[in-house]
Amino acid sequence: MLRVSRRLAACLSILASAQAAVDVSPATAPRMEFTPLAPGTYQLQAIQSVEDATLLDERARAVRLSALTQGKITLLTFFYTYCVDPLGCPFAHQTLTLLRERILRDRELAREVRFVGISCDPGTDTPDVLARYAMDFTTDSRFEWRFLTARSVSALLPVLDDFGQDVSVDVDESGRATRALHHMLKVFLIDHRGRVREIYSLAYLQPQVMLNDIRTLYLERRSGLAGARTAARRAQ
Amino acid sequence: MRQSSQCAVVVVNVCLCFGTAVPNALADETCNSPYISNLIKGQEDFVHVWTLGVEGLGDGSDKLVTVDANPASKTYGRVVDSLSVGGRGEAHHMGFTDDRKFLWAGGLDDSKIHVFDVGTNPSKPKLIRTITDLPAKTKFVGPHTFYALPGRMLIGNLSNTADKGGVTGMALYNNKGTLVARYDMPSVSLGGVKGDGYGYDIAINPAKNVLLTSSFAGWQNYMRELGDLIKDAEAMKHFGNTMVVWNLKSMRPTQVLSVPGAPLEIRWSLAPGQNWAITAAALTAKLWLIKQAESGAWSAREVGTIGNPAQVPLPVDISITAAGKGLWVNTFMDGTTHYFDLTDPEHPKETYQRRIGTQVNMISQSWDGKRVYMTSSLLAHWDKKGADNEQFLRAFNWDGHALTPAFEVDFTKEKLGRPHHMKFTARANQSRTLAALAR
Repeated sequence: MLRVSRRLAACLSILASAQAAVDVSPATAPRMEFTPLAPGTYQLQAIQSVEDATLLDERARAVRLSALTQGKITLLTFFYTYCVDPLGCPFAHQTLTLLRERILRDRELAREVRFVGISCDPGTDTPDVLARYAMDFTTDSRFEWRFLTARSVSALLPVLDDFGQDVSVDVDESGRATRALHHMLKVFLIDHRGRVREIYSLAYLQPQVMLNDIRTLYLERRSGLAGARTAARRAQ
Repeated sequence: MRQSSQCAVVVVNVCLCFGTAVPNALADETCNSPYISNLIKGQEDFVHVWTLGVEGLGDGSDKLVTVDANPASKTYGRVVDSLSVGGRGEAHHMGFTDDRKFLWAGGLDDSKIHVFDVGTNPSKPKLIRTITDLPAKTKFVGPHTFYALPGRMLIGNLSNTADKGGVTGMALYNNKGTLVARYDMPSVSLGGVKGDGYGYDIAINPAKNVLLTSSFAGWQNYMRELGDLIKDAEAMKHFGNTMVVWNLKSMRPTQVLSVPGAPLEIRWSLAPGQNWAITAAALTAKLWLIKQAESGAWSAREVGTIGNPAQVPLPVDISITAAGKGLWVNTFMDGTTHYFDLTDPEHPKETYQRRIGTQVNMISQSWDGKRVYMTSSLLAHWDKKGADNEQFLRAFNWDGHALTPAFEVDFTKEKLGRPHHMKFTARANQSRTLAALAR
C-alpha cells in the first residue's frame, strides 16, 4: 500500500494536466420539484451502524471514528483534496457549506450537528495537506467540521468497506496508478447513536431536505431524552 | 475519463467522482434505478441473463448466464460464463446496487435473493451471498423488482406467506444484505380509489420525491399453468388493478390510481420539465400515462392500444428510449415487438413492429438505442409448449426504422434454460479498485 501511495504521490504532474482537462463549470444542482415534508412528520430508517476505526486528524493525532460519529448528528462524506469534478467533492462541500449556514441560524441545533470529511487518498492527503484544505471550511468556531485521513490505504479500506464506498483509481498502460480517482458521491447522515439514517447521492443533495432530516433526528433525540426523563421520574 | 481502446466504454460521469445526478439518469439502459452510477453510454461488453433452470436440461439450475456483446471481441455473441445457483427457484428479475458492483437476483418461487459480484470481473461473475430471510422477516414472497437506493436495495414483491395471493409489499435491505424495513401495499382508499394491496414494479422520480408501484398477481397465479389459469374465472379476478403513488421520503402511500388489467413495468420520463411515467396493462393491452397535474395530484389515463386486445397479445416488458421519445413494447403471445413514437406521450403512435419468435418477453436497449436485446421466457408455467417453446437471447441493431439481427443464443441448444431478465456490464480496463491496488 505504501507503494500505491508513493505512486500516487509521484504523479503530481499528472494532476496539473488532469485539472486542465476537466470541466470546472458550475455544478448543476439536483432538481427539487416538491415541497419537503416538515421535520418530525416522518421517520428515517436505521440503515446500518458504523464500525469503529482509528484515523488521523489534520494534526496527525489518532482519532477514533466513533468519537466523530456518535454524540451528535453527523454528516459524513468521503472526498479527496484535489477533486475537481464539479458534481463531485466540490459540490458536496459547497452544499454542506450552504447547509451549515442554515443550521447556524439555530444555535441550539448547531451544537448538535457536525460534519466529517474522510479523505479517500491518504497517500496524498497527509495531515499537513488536510490542514491546509480544512482552512476553507473550519473557520467558524460555532460549528464542528472535521477532516480525517488514514495512516495508509490498508487502514482506510475497512472504513470504505463498512460504508459501501467504492473507490477506484485509473491506471496507465503499464498498470500503474494515476491520480485519477473515482468514487460515487455519497453523504451519510448519522444519528447520535452512530447509526446511518439516510444516504444522499447527488440526486438527493437537496439542502432543505437535508436540513429537515437533521431536524427530524434532532426532534427524535429530544423526544427520546424527554421520554427517558419521564420514565426515570416514574421509576423513582 | 478516458475511453478504453478495446471496449469503447464511456461511463456516464466523465469527471473524477461519480455523482448520480438526475440528468444522468434520463436514459433507459434500460430500466435501471436513477441512483445507479456508471451508466454505460457506449458499447456494452456483456449481457448478463438471469435464467430459469429446466429439469433435465444441463444442470437444471437457475443460473446467471454471461454473453459477450461487444462486436470487437473474439467471443462476440457467445456464452462466456454460466454460474448456477444450485436449484430452481423461478429466476426472474435482477437489479444493480447503486455502485453497479453487484447484481441482486430473485427467485419468484423460493424467494431467495442471490447477490453476484459483477464489478470485479464482469466476464466471470461470482455469487457472494444468498439472502434467504425475506419470507420469515417480512411475510412477503416472490421478490420481483430490485431497485437501488443509495446504500440499499428496495424490493417489490408479488405475494405473501399467508395465502400466497397477491397482497404483498416492499422490503428494504441495506447493501450488506440486512433487512431495514418493510412496507405493506395499501389496501385502503387513498384519493378515492381503494388499494388492492398488490405489487409488482417500482420506479422513482427523485426530482418529484415520488415512488410509483404497479400490481400483478400472487404466487397462486404466477406459479400455475397459464392454460389452466385462464379457464379459472375466479382466479382471473386475482390480478392487480391499481398503481400507487408514494411519498419517497416517508415511504407512505399518498394516492391509489385505478389502472385495470395488471399494470406491469413502469418507466419515468426524467427529462427536465417532464412529469409523467408510462406503463402497459398486460391483460387489457393498453398503455397508461401517469401524469402530475398543476395541483400536484397524479392521475392515470389510458393513452394507447397495443396490438389487438381481443386476441390478448399480453404486453409484458417495455423499454423507454433515452430522451423519452420512444417506447418498445413486447407482446408475449404473438412473439412481437412494437415501437411507439412517444413524442406526444398523450398519444403514442405505433410506427414499427416485428415478430421476434414464437414467444418474446424481456427487452433491453443500449443507452443510444442502437442495440436491442430480447429474451423469450415469461414464467416457467406460462411459457408455450412444444415447438412454440423457443428459448433464446436475440440481439438486434436498430437504425431508427428497422431491426437487423446481430446475434442469437439458443438457450435450449446450449442446455442453459429459460432466459429472462438482462443487465449490461462493461470491462473496467483502465481502472482498479483501491483494494486491488493495495494488494
